Amino acid sequence: MAEMQNSNPTILNAADLPTRLRPAATGKPGAYGSGIFTQSLSNASDFFSTSPLSSSESESEDDLMEEPIDEQEIYDLISTISDPEHPISLGELAVVSLPDIAIRPSLPNVPSSPLQTVTVLITPTITHCSLATVIGLGVRVRLEQSLPPRFRVDVRIKEGTHSTADEVNKQLADKERVAAALENGTLMGVIAKMMETCQ
Amino acid sequence: MAVKTAQLFFLSDLTPPSLERTWLTAPHPTLPIVATCSSDKTVRVYSLTNFKLLSTISGGHKRSVRTCAWKPHIQGESVLATGSFDATVGIWRRWDSYGQEEGGMGDLAIGSDNGDTLQNEPNNDEEEEEWRFAVLLDGHDSEVKSVSWSPSGMLLATCSRDKSIWIWEDLDDGDNNFETVAVMQEHSADVKCVSWHPVEECLASASYDDTIRLWREDVDDWGQVACLKGHEGTVWFLDWEGVDNIPRIPAGGDESSFTTQWKRQRALSGPRLISCSDDRTVRVWRRQPMEPKPESGDTTMPSIIRPTGTEEKWEEESVLPKAHDLSIYAVAWSKRTGLIATVGADGRIAIFEEQFAPTYSTPDESNTNNTLRTEYINVVTMEGAHGIYEINHVQWAKRADRGREEGKEEEVLVTTADDGSIKVWTIAW
Repeated sequence: MAEMQNSNPTILNAADLPTRLRPAATGKPGAYGSGIFTQSLSNASDFFSTSPLSSSESESEDDLMEEPIDEQEIYDLISTISDPEHPISLGELAVVSLPDIAIRPSLPNVPSSPLQTVTVLITPTITHCSLATVIGLGVRVRLEQSLPPRFRVDVRIKEGTHSTADEVNKQLADKERVAAALENGTLMGVIAKMMETCQ
Repeated sequence: MAVKTAQLFFLSDLTPPSLERTWLTAPHPTLPIVATCSSDKTVRVYSLTNFKLLSTISGGHKRSVRTCAWKPHIQGESVLATGSFDATVGIWRRWDSYGQEEGGMGDLAIGSDNGDTLQNEPNNDEEEEEWRFAVLLDGHDSEVKSVSWSPSGMLLATCSRDKSIWIWEDLDDGDNNFETVAVMQEHSADVKCVSWHPVEECLASASYDDTIRLWREDVDDWGQVACLKGHEGTVWFLDWEGVDNIPRIPAGGDESSFTTQWKRQRALSGPRLISCSDDRTVRVWRRQPMEPKPESGDTTMPSIIRPTGTEEKWEEESVLPKAHDLSIYAVAWSKRTGLIATVGADGRIAIFEEQFAPTYSTPDESNTNNTLRTEYINVVTMEGAHGIYEINHVQWAKRADRGREEGKEEEVLVTTADDGSIKVWTIAW
């Protein structure tokens, strides 16, 4: 990266970032084998559980049942992505924020459909940031790689926060372009670096 | 008026599937086989007789194979063009032993239905060797999105994210030489699809710039003859109407008068073009009738001076009834039945039938201005046709399995999805 576009961004205090109430000592990532989504809940159930049966048996039940996925879990997945310019997370930079994440049925007219759309509005740190596309792509890739396939991922620039938002949005929504980007080694190198800070 | 409705029946999967996303499945113009492009950099050739994998074409592309097309009108050999995200187009050849064997394969298929499955295996391995990599067409700067052979098979059109369309001439010199005939760069963004007119040397292209453009050769140069605007998002796919298509005639309508008037009405505008888009609409476009060619002996102007009329006027004729809630990735207009199928990110298959609008139950033959109007009926919609996965492509093909009715030409629908699955469907009324 040649020159920083925003050399002095506003940074939120990590302690102020939204989080689910959970014990301070969290389990090791990946210890539960059943995916990212069971972590916070199974940690909580382990912590509060008094039944001696629960720890192993409830885990296998967790494996069978898909945990409901809520906005906080989406936030947890993407807020730890690093900004491509700064060694600071998208959560701390307020590029992603909990109120700008929504989960809705993709096909509201088909109540039986399991498809759900996760919409993430991203707020670039400055209005002309050309890295907005890379950040958006990072968010989309992170979610597509982590979420079950019944989720449709919709990543967009929050209205009024970027000069070329429509252009960026159209690129991020284009499945074919995203698929091709995933095969572009240089771009994926940048994205992989951004995700080093994710669990 | 009672609306005819149809049912879609699942016939078979094509097995084994790709383990990665599949983008498109192209039925062979004459043989009962299809080619499926996959993100795993290969093309799989499946039989429509027994729905099994015949061969896997690999080793030619360094990235996802996005598209492929069979060259029409060749005898004794199959030629497949493949387009990849690696920016190249591959040409592959194979002698048509498939053609003779296919009957034999069909017999074997009966054997395997009875649990005798080993017979196919050794054959397949041999066949794998027989796809010959002929040539790599290099020229595009970025991902190739679509390839299409002209109706004669002489020209190959390719398009890319680099905004350009290339037309190559297959010199058919036995040496696999292709010559670049034209490079068109009028689109202002990715060109997503190219599709040739069914009989004329007229190319249609669809783009991320939301437009559709039409191209023809004028004397020696290929140039744009029309730019169709109307879609409010990326235009993903195009298809043409069959030359002899006639919409369904309403019950009690006089078949011959409808047919006569329809043919007269269409004679000067030719087959229509259909498009689908990220804007969730499907649109039908019609060329405004061209001036009738002057009779021979008409000497108002010598033909060498007469302007060739490079501009064509195309108008949006219809928007199909809304059937999709997310991006529509493909549309297929059956050349046999006139039925239209669409698929997209919502996982649905929708089928439409065009019929004459009921207000014109008796066309007035004496009045040529009394144009026939038609409407499109959504005759069936299948929700979640590939489970939770997005469907990237749909195409009609001639039915070839043993379940078909003897002596009757039946049609199947082939859908290609994100999870690598390819499904074959039949339609019944």
